[in-house]
Amino acid sequence: MRTRKLALIPPLVLLAAGCGPAASGGSGSGGAVEIVVPYAAGGGTDQTARQLATAAEKTCGFNTVVSNKEGAGGAIGFQAAADADPDGSTLGIVTAEVAMLAHRGVTDVTPDDMDGVLQYNFDPAALTVDAGSDYDSVHDVIEAADRGAGATIGTSGAGSIWEAAAKGLAAEEGVEMTYAPFEGAAPAITAVLGGQVDATTVSGAEVRAQVESGELNSLAVMGEERLSFLPDTPTLREEGIDWISGTWRGVAVPEGTPQETVAELETCFNEAARSEAFTSFMEKGGFGVRYRGAEEFDSFMDAEYEHFGQTMGGAGNE
Amino acid sequence: MNDWLIGLDAVLSVGALSMIALGVAIGLVCGALPGLTATMAVALLLPVTFSLDPLPGMMLLVGVYGGTLYAGSIPAILLRAPGTPSAAATVIDGYPMSRQGKAGQALTVSLVASVVGGLVGTVLLALFAPQLASVALVFGPPEYFMVAVLALAVIASISAGKLSSGLLSGMLGVAIGVVGMDPIEGFPRFTFGTTELTAGIPFIAVLIGLFGISEAFTQIAGTEQGGRAEPPPVGRFTLGPRWLRRLGPATGGSSLMGFFIGLLPGTGGDVASYFAYNETRRWSRRSGFGKGEPSGVAAAESANNASTSGALAPTLVLGIPGDSVTAILIGALTVHGLQPGPQLFEGSPDLIYGTMLGLILTYLAILPLGLLGIRLWPMLKATPTALLWPAVIMVSLVGAFALRLSLVDVGIALAAGALGFALTRGGYPLAPMVIGLILGPMAESNLRLSLIISGGSLDWLARPIPIAILLLIAVAVVATKLATRRAAQRPEPAPVGEER
Repeated sequence: MRTRKLALIPPLVLLAAGCGPAASGGSGSGGAVEIVVPYAAGGGTDQTARQLATAAEKTCGFNTVVSNKEGAGGAIGFQAAADADPDGSTLGIVTAEVAMLAHRGVTDVTPDDMDGVLQYNFDPAALTVDAGSDYDSVHDVIEAADRGAGATIGTSGAGSIWEAAAKGLAAEEGVEMTYAPFEGAAPAITAVLGGQVDATTVSGAEVRAQVESGELNSLAVMGEERLSFLPDTPTLREEGIDWISGTWRGVAVPEGTPQETVAELETCFNEAARSEAFTSFMEKGGFGVRYRGAEEFDSFMDAEYEHFGQTMGGAGNE
Repeated sequence: MNDWLIGLDAVLSVGALSMIALGVAIGLVCGALPGLTATMAVALLLPVTFSLDPLPGMMLLVGVYGGTLYAGSIPAILLRAPGTPSAAATVIDGYPMSRQGKAGQALTVSLVASVVGGLVGTVLLALFAPQLASVALVFGPPEYFMVAVLALAVIASISAGKLSSGLLSGMLGVAIGVVGMDPIEGFPRFTFGTTELTAGIPFIAVLIGLFGISEAFTQIAGTEQGGRAEPPPVGRFTLGPRWLRRLGPATGGSSLMGFFIGLLPGTGGDVASYFAYNETRRWSRRSGFGKGEPSGVAAAESANNASTSGALAPTLVLGIPGDSVTAILIGALTVHGLQPGPQLFEGSPDLIYGTMLGLILTYLAILPLGLLGIRLWPMLKATPTALLWPAVIMVSLVGAFALRLSLVDVGIALAAGALGFALTRGGYPLAPMVIGLILGPMAESNLRLSLIISGGSLDWLARPIPIAILLLIAVAVVATKLATRRAAQRPEPAPVGEER
């Protein structure tokens, strides 16, 4: 009798393993490459990483295990990837935040601790207002800020890339705005819809549904080109404002990984990132595609780090 | 009505129906394991849906979502270890029932209340989604702040009789919630320079330790001292007709409240269940809350399942996720080139109306699967104490590790277990701590956001909803005071769960 009841335990433990993170990985045969995602499962970074990992299994010829090490705005995951053995067995997904967090005193990890392998994504910020508002162009918002009348910008969080995008725009035009840091893009968008704030600077992809349904109006995107799904929205440069800002995602390895390993990874991840399966996923998901090879990505990360050092001005130490 | 027929046609396919059944089955197992939350289960199944058609994919995820939220109550009732944060409020009355040999009834109440809550919520979603979604927009930081304050007031009613212990425990929870990144200024606070703590003390690890592990410690310590080694009997599973009248008002009212809380983006089942539990307790004539009152279990469980449907309203209508799970559901749709929002209603009625019908089928599937399951689960409980509780600790620690594959989280769960053990020994209730931990950060960031947006003034307190909630809090405080004074002799006939 007693043993029969105890017999329930092992299958339960097995089921637990079945719906745990273990299920997301590869064969676990020991030869698998770990890919550290610094954000929670299900988010944009996680989705793109898992798709890329699946595509890379074919082109690189190894199994991959995606592990989510979220927290501290990405610092936990960046740290884990930077601290891993530099032998190509652990890769990390890096985002714009890796160039920002150290400036805020959150972590010591900087792009110097990682070697870039490949950048696969860039999503520009978009200045977006309620469709019924009086703001018809980015200049209306700037002017309101200049008069001290409104211009409260909802962002996706304190120290987030979208807050940096808004602050950079204000600094470029020499005006002061009020920044309301919500927990993520969704509540910031809700706040614009509900009239709690005047505008938001989250990515164009994130406001796409509401812009297409006519509830929101994107005044300008902060990329080099217009977005395919927001063809009527000009870039800031077209509006005469020299400011580019957005998030990016890429693959990196711990600093000190042998050159030939980096080169091999670059080749096969590049192939994966340009595969039909991955690019069609990116397009459907509304993720902008932007490639940079290992060397170019590495110096781009360093430049971003420097750039954020100037614009953020040690905001965390105030 | 035509759209409903299109939806029905889409749902009544082998693919969609089998995905609902599979989703519910996976959800029931994941929900019952501490550490595996609805968010995690849905996120991990997301890539699977990429290769399915949109509707079967949604059915799988919706099935998991509903199944997980229900199943979290099973270990909450049997082992005092809530399987998901949403089931934390279920512990308050569910575990005492289990200790009194009424585990069977508690499990049945939780199952029926979950199904009723889910169905009521889905019907509300189906009938009023477009109108209700705009409610979410009226709620800005001031309104969220007041909701958090109202829900924090639950600490007072839970701690009736020993208010200072309850408040202390609540403050401890708020204090734990303060660790990590400052939500407004974005700098690390109380982290002692460590990167691990910058992420904050992970709420789920604390929950796992505070309830499951600390209870295991208590039980093992009890056995060591020659206490009762035999577990209490499970009791009957059946509920008579009398129960309908007893639990009906609490279940109905809490379903409405849960749905409403779910509507608000950023609030989910955990806030919903505490909120509904508190209001049910406040307006109920019964006095056994906290000591094994079935209405308490019914309130918490119907609310957290109803919040699922509530969260889907802004998701489907506005394209704004109502909670972390619905954010993933949006991802499941966009990957098929579908953008949730008004256009989806016109462009893909099969998907929208199919999803709502699928939710109804999900809850209809949970009922028989749950009835089958609740007779199996207590067998686990019949395991000898010497084996059961160490196994609970093991599963809890595995769950804590699974969160982020981090040993730090395991350490935190163990520390929370020790803290919970010590507090229980000292006579401090644990529920207020969890409430403080959930609602403290929500109150803090929304208060500060309100002040930023208003430029530092308190004008926002005079907006209609904050004023109404403020009055509600005042009424509640006075009512509680009066009720306490009159004690049990002349209980007031107050309406049950009628508000909102």
